[in-house]
Amino acid sequence: MSQPIVEYRGISKYFAGVRALEKVDFSCRAGSIHGVLGENGAGKSTLIKIMAGVLRPDAGEMLLDGRPVSFAEPQAAADAGIVCMFQELSLVPDLSVADNISIARPPRRFGLIDRRAQVARAEALLARVRCEDIDPNALVRELSLSRRQMVEIAKALGRDPKVLILDEATSALTARDVQTVYDLLAELKAQGVASLFISHRMHEVDQLCDTLSVFRNGRHIETFAKGDKSERDIVRLMIGRDVEAQFPPKPAPVPAAERGAPLLSVQGLAWQNRLNGIDLAVHPGEIVGLGGLDGQGQKELLLALFGVLRDVEGAVVIGGRKGIPGSPAAARSGRTRIALVPEDRKTEGLMLAMPIADNLLAASFARISRGPFIDPARARKAVDDGIERLRIKTGSASDPVMTLSGGNQQKVVIAKWLMIDPDIVLLNDPTRGIDVGTKQEIYRLMRELANAGKAILFYSSDYAELIGCCDRVSVLYGGRVVSEKEGDQLTEEGLIAASLNIDVEAA
Amino acid sequence: MRLAVSPENKPILIASLFVVAILFAGTAYTLSTTGTAPLLSPGYLLQQLQTGSFLGICAAGMMMVILLGHIDLSVPWTLTAAAMTATAVGGEWALPTALAVGLSVGLLNGFGVAFLRIPSMIFTLGVDTVLRGLMVAQTGGFAPQDSATPLMLYLAKERILGIPVAIFVWAATSIVIAVILTRTGFGRSIYATGSREAAAFLSGIRTRLVIVGAFVVSGLCAATAGILLAGYSAKAYQGMGNSFLLPAIAAVVLGGTHILGGRGRYAGTVVGVVLIVLLNSVLSIMQMPEAGRQIIYGAVIIGMLLVYGRNQRVTS
Repeated sequence: MSQPIVEYRGISKYFAGVRALEKVDFSCRAGSIHGVLGENGAGKSTLIKIMAGVLRPDAGEMLLDGRPVSFAEPQAAADAGIVCMFQELSLVPDLSVADNISIARPPRRFGLIDRRAQVARAEALLARVRCEDIDPNALVRELSLSRRQMVEIAKALGRDPKVLILDEATSALTARDVQTVYDLLAELKAQGVASLFISHRMHEVDQLCDTLSVFRNGRHIETFAKGDKSERDIVRLMIGRDVEAQFPPKPAPVPAAERGAPLLSVQGLAWQNRLNGIDLAVHPGEIVGLGGLDGQGQKELLLALFGVLRDVEGAVVIGGRKGIPGSPAAARSGRTRIALVPEDRKTEGLMLAMPIADNLLAASFARISRGPFIDPARARKAVDDGIERLRIKTGSASDPVMTLSGGNQQKVVIAKWLMIDPDIVLLNDPTRGIDVGTKQEIYRLMRELANAGKAILFYSSDYAELIGCCDRVSVLYGGRVVSEKEGDQLTEEGLIAASLNIDVEAA
Repeated sequence: MRLAVSPENKPILIASLFVVAILFAGTAYTLSTTGTAPLLSPGYLLQQLQTGSFLGICAAGMMMVILLGHIDLSVPWTLTAAAMTATAVGGEWALPTALAVGLSVGLLNGFGVAFLRIPSMIFTLGVDTVLRGLMVAQTGGFAPQDSATPLMLYLAKERILGIPVAIFVWAATSIVIAVILTRTGFGRSIYATGSREAAAFLSGIRTRLVIVGAFVVSGLCAATAGILLAGYSAKAYQGMGNSFLLPAIAAVVLGGTHILGGRGRYAGTVVGVVLIVLLNSVLSIMQMPEAGRQIIYGAVIIGMLLVYGRNQRVTS
C-alpha cells in the first residue's frame, strides 16, 4: 500500500457551533480513485473544502505527502497540486471558455494576456476531455449545463493536479461525457494522481472507484476497498438504517386504448430550433419520463408548457382546453393548474436569502389572502402543512432557505407547488445532486401524486431513475420525441440506444 | 448571555443607537457652549420630524423600488412636477392633480423598467431629465407665480394638538407602506422579486406588474412630498426636490435595506430618515462649515455601511 498523499488527523470543523466535521481521520493514496459517500450534510463538502483551502479546520491537522500543511487560500492549495471542482460551477458566465480555463494563470506576453496562447491551451485541454465541439471563444453563458461542466473539468486538468477533487462533477453530464470522464480518471490514476470522487449516483461510484469512504453526520464511518461491501450495506452505512426498496411499486400498466382522455396532450410543439415538433400525451395518474441526452429540448419543453417561452407553435390541449398558458402566473392559476420544479433550484426554484416560509408561500399568496391582505393564520398553517408533508428538516420557518441542505431545499421547491394542488406537475431533474434518502422520498411522493390522479412529466438525466419511476418514457433527440418506451422495453440499453437515436430493436 | 439580534434588525438597532449618540453629542455641545439643551426639547424634535416628513415620504417610496433591486432617480423632478402642477391647477383639484402626476410618472417608470427592460438607473434618470425640461418649458424658465392652496398649507404647516400635520401624513404613509410590505401578497412579491426575479417569476408571481406597482408607489410618495413641500414653502419652485434624492437613498440604505434588493424592514427606513435629519441639524447647530458637514455626512454613511457589512459573509 502506497504512502497516503493527503492525510487528515483529527480534523474538526464547526459552523456557528454546529458540527460539520468531528475528529475526522482520513487518508487518500496516490494513484487511486477514492469515492466519498454520504447523505447531504454528512460533511463531504466540508471535508473537501478544507482540503482545497476554502475552509480552515478548527482542530486537527492535514498532511500532504507526509508534511503538515495549512492553506491560507484556495490558490495555495492549487499551487500544492490540490485542484477542486465544486458542485456549484465556478465558471464566470460572461467570459469566454478560454478565459475561464486559464483564469488563474493566464499565459502572458509582455505582461498582457496572450490570447492566442490562451485559446491554443484551451483547445488542447478541451481535446483531452473530448469536447472539441466547444468553441474556446464562446461565452460560458451560451453553453448548456453539461458543456459547462466539461469546461470545468478541462480547467481543472489545466492546473496539473496531484489530487483532483470532483464534487458532484458528473451530476449534469450526459452519458457520453460521463464515459469520457471515467476514461480520463483512469488515465490520471495511471499517472499517479489521486482522485476524490463525490457523487450521489451509486452506480457511478461503484463503477469508477477503487476505494470507498462513507461519512455520516460529520464523522468518517468507514473506508474499504470496492467490492468489500454490497450496495445495500453501503447504503445502510450512509443513512445508518435499513432502506426499503429504492423505487415505489408501479401500478399495472394500462393499455393505451383504455387510458381515456389525456390531461396534457402536445402535438407538433415547436420553438425556435430547439423544439422541432414534439408529440406527447400524459394521462391522469401517469408518470411520463423525458429521456435523452442533456440539451435535446427537455428543458425547453417543460418551460414551454409552463408558459415561459414566447412564440411556441403547435397544438397543446391542457385539461380539455386548447392553448398553452401565457405565463407561469397563468399556468399556476388556470382551471388545470400546472406546477414546474425548475432545473436549477438555487437560481430558478428558490429565493435563497429569503425565509423558508416566504419561499413556501411564493406560489400561493392568492390562496392565503383575504382581499389584498395575507391571513397570518392561513399562512402559518400552509407553511406548517408544507413542512410536515415533505418532512423538511428545519429549525425555524423564518430561517433563510439557504441554511438548508440541498435535499431539503428541493423539498421546499416541491412543497411550494403542492400548496396550489397542481393537476399537472412538471419536474426538471428534481433529484440532481441530492442525497439518497431525499431521492427516495421524492420518488414516493411522485407516485403518490400520480395515484391521486395528477399527471406528471418528469425529466431526469439519470436513466435508472427514469426506469424505476416512470410508467412511460419519451426519449428526446434534437427537439423531437424519437422513441417511446414502456413496460419491458423500458431498459437502460433501450434508453441509451434511443438517446443516441440508434434503434437497436429495429435491427 | 448575548443579546440575539437578527441580521434584519441589526442595522436598525445600530442606526437607532447612532441617533441617540447624535442627540447626546449635540446636547453635550450646546451645554458646553450655551449651557442649554435645546436638542432635547419636544419643540425642537417635533420641528425636526416635520422637516423630516418630506424626506421620510420620499424614502418610503424609494424603499419599495430599492427592495426590488431597482432605483428611482426621478424622485426630485417627480416631486417638483407634482408640486408645480398642483399649484398651477389650484383649488380643490390641486391634490388629485399632483397625485395623478406621481401616478403617471410611476407608471411610465414601471413600464420602461419592467416591459422595455431598460435598467432603472438609466430610465428613471431620463424621466427625471424629461420632467425637468417640461417644467422649465411650462414656466418659461421663470419662477412660477402660483401659490399653494389652503389645503396644502394646512397639511404642511398646521398643527393638531401641537403636532404638525405633516408628521401625521408621514405616519399615515408609513403605515400604508408597512402594511403593504408585511401583510399583502404584493409586498411579499416585492421581496421575492427583489431577492431572485427568475425564481419569483417561475413561482407564478407577476413580476412585471410588481415592478410597475413599486414604481407607482414611489411616484405617489414623491408627489405627496411635493404637495407638503409646496405647502411648507407656500409655493412650488424649480429644483425644489433636488436635495431629496441622495438623502432618500441614504436613509433607505442606512435603515438596513439591501441596495441590491430582497432584504430590509420599513422601520429601518424611518430610523434612517431620523438619523439623517438629526445629523444635518446637529451639524448646523454646531456651526460646522458646509464643507465639514458634507465630509462628515458622507463619512457617516460609508462608516455605518461598513459596520453593517461585517459578519455578513455567507459561510457555505
